[in-house]
Amino acid sequence: MFDLFREIGQTIRCNRLRTFLTGISVAWGVFMLILLLGAARGTVNSFEDSSNSMASNKMQIWGDYTTMPYNGYKQGRMIELRSADIGRLEHENSRVSSAMAYARVDTAKVFGLTEYADCGYIAVYPQSQQSERVELSHGRFINNRDIDEHRRVIVLSERTAGTLFGTDSAAIGETVRCMGLGWRVVGVYSHRWRSSAYVPYTTHKALTGSDDRVSSLEVRVEGVDTEGAAMEVEEDVRATLARSHGFHPDDQGAVWVWNSLRQNIASAQIGNYLVIVVWVIGLLTLLTGIVGVSNIMFVSVRERTHEIGIRRAIGARPRSILTQVLSESVAITALFGYMGVFFGMLILQIVDGLGVLEDYGFVNATVDISLAVQVTVALVVAGMLAGLFPALKAIKVKPVEALRDE
Amino acid sequence: MEDIITLDKVNKTYPGAVPLHVLHDINLRIGRGELVSIMGASGSGKSTLLNILGILDSYDSGSYVLDGLPIRDLSENRAADLRNRLIGFVFQSFNLIGYKSAMENVALPLYYQGIGRKRRNALAMEQLERLGLADRSHHLPGELSGGQKQRVAIARALVTNPSIILADEPTGALDSHTSREVMEIFRELNAEGMTVIIVTHDPGVGAATNRIIHIADGRIVDADGSPAATENPDTDV
Repeated sequence: MFDLFREIGQTIRCNRLRTFLTGISVAWGVFMLILLLGAARGTVNSFEDSSNSMASNKMQIWGDYTTMPYNGYKQGRMIELRSADIGRLEHENSRVSSAMAYARVDTAKVFGLTEYADCGYIAVYPQSQQSERVELSHGRFINNRDIDEHRRVIVLSERTAGTLFGTDSAAIGETVRCMGLGWRVVGVYSHRWRSSAYVPYTTHKALTGSDDRVSSLEVRVEGVDTEGAAMEVEEDVRATLARSHGFHPDDQGAVWVWNSLRQNIASAQIGNYLVIVVWVIGLLTLLTGIVGVSNIMFVSVRERTHEIGIRRAIGARPRSILTQVLSESVAITALFGYMGVFFGMLILQIVDGLGVLEDYGFVNATVDISLAVQVTVALVVAGMLAGLFPALKAIKVKPVEALRDE
Repeated sequence: MEDIITLDKVNKTYPGAVPLHVLHDINLRIGRGELVSIMGASGSGKSTLLNILGILDSYDSGSYVLDGLPIRDLSENRAADLRNRLIGFVFQSFNLIGYKSAMENVALPLYYQGIGRKRRNALAMEQLERLGLADRSHHLPGELSGGQKQRVAIARALVTNPSIILADEPTGALDSHTSREVMEIFRELNAEGMTVIIVTHDPGVGAATNRIIHIADGRIVDADGSPAATENPDTDV
């Protein structure tokens, strides 16, 4: 093996300029491939980033007006969702892992001793911690006992806690005033742009009225990974609500469903297509490099016909000639290919480090180690392909060539 | 004397629009330890004979036995292995590989035997030393004189310890003084027991061998050009 590398090294050194010029085209192809893949990755990452901050496996449902007459009722009737729907949705749909209601009061102000924050609050169930992806920096989130006992507890954002108490950790255990009542701060969360406070849903209901109407429902779904399945779950949810509220099961207007699940699956697919398209473009760019390498291998075999004849005369089997030409081709392709990978990665790291492109929809536009493996496989295959025909030509050289004068 | 090469009614025709019958019923015996030359004008068929002797080319009919092994219908791989083991080639234009040092050139046949680099280089150095070139072992062929190059080529031919040395116009590219030196090397090798066959058109080279085989128009002939009735290895010409 080592001997083979020495042989390759010697022959490449003989034709440095020619090898270098051809190698550049391979390096350029791979460089472009890496840049494109990085850009694609950045775009996909930014899709995922924005959908992550809104939970990817949930559906949100609002009541609306019926558009079809049904069961004696005229169309245009208002459908009001109720908290009883929560239990029904959980029981009648196997793929619904949990359902919950929440309400927003964006106009609420939260008062400390000397300062106040105009942040509004969201009344939630404990499950919202997962679906909203709330990351706590101190304390805890709303829990089930808060819901059961209608406790007046509140979770603040770091920004609000900082405004009211100086530092975010100082807020825990303190009392704030909101909606004219005192609330105990039990937790502080961090988020890039969200600043609403969280309170228990039941406490909010107790304060604002005793009926069980809810402004919207939220349903979390498990084990759905195709767009079709996401549609099915949406139809099932609609059917459950149609039964309990007496509207036509096909009435698409009675409740308004925001199926973020379906959108996420669709955008993930777009991301996959994007990566495939980039690979195709990149490999086609690489193809010009392959043709170049193939070309110089042909020239090299032609130039060395006499030498190959000598080698055959002194006992080289056709196979060792084949191996030599092929591995030379793979070596050139891989060497310059990795140069392309190196510079491509370097550019991506620099751009990513500067962070200038995040505003344009590129988040962490870099490539990882699994890609390096994929690129290696692509390069070796490319090198073999480039060397194949020249190698087949080389083994046709007869040992008698050794006796021919140059 | 034991025969190392036995050719029996060997014929060779190059196909084409007008088929070219280059060798006619060649009968030839060369004994182990002989120093012979094959002489003939260009177009006489001596190159074809050399190709067949060197297992570089096939023949159409007859039989060829080299060192007890019938040479007939060999696969490319088998032919390559036999050339590597049985034959040491010395060429007119030296045929050294330009980007390899003298030592690497000498070691190359051993590379194709799968011998490790250390042992290969040690064996190559041994041969170079035997030919007085130890101090030139790391020079490239381009840095050596013609005589030195031919000595490197002879070292390469000897390194596998072959049954025969087959030299094709080994002095064709050398001046007369160097030619005599190279011929002296062949005589010394022969004195040590090596069978040496030299193909040449130079009478001076032929005269330096112990037996001359003349070839003309694809037939083995006597020195005066008349057809040889039988080829007898024991007859000095």
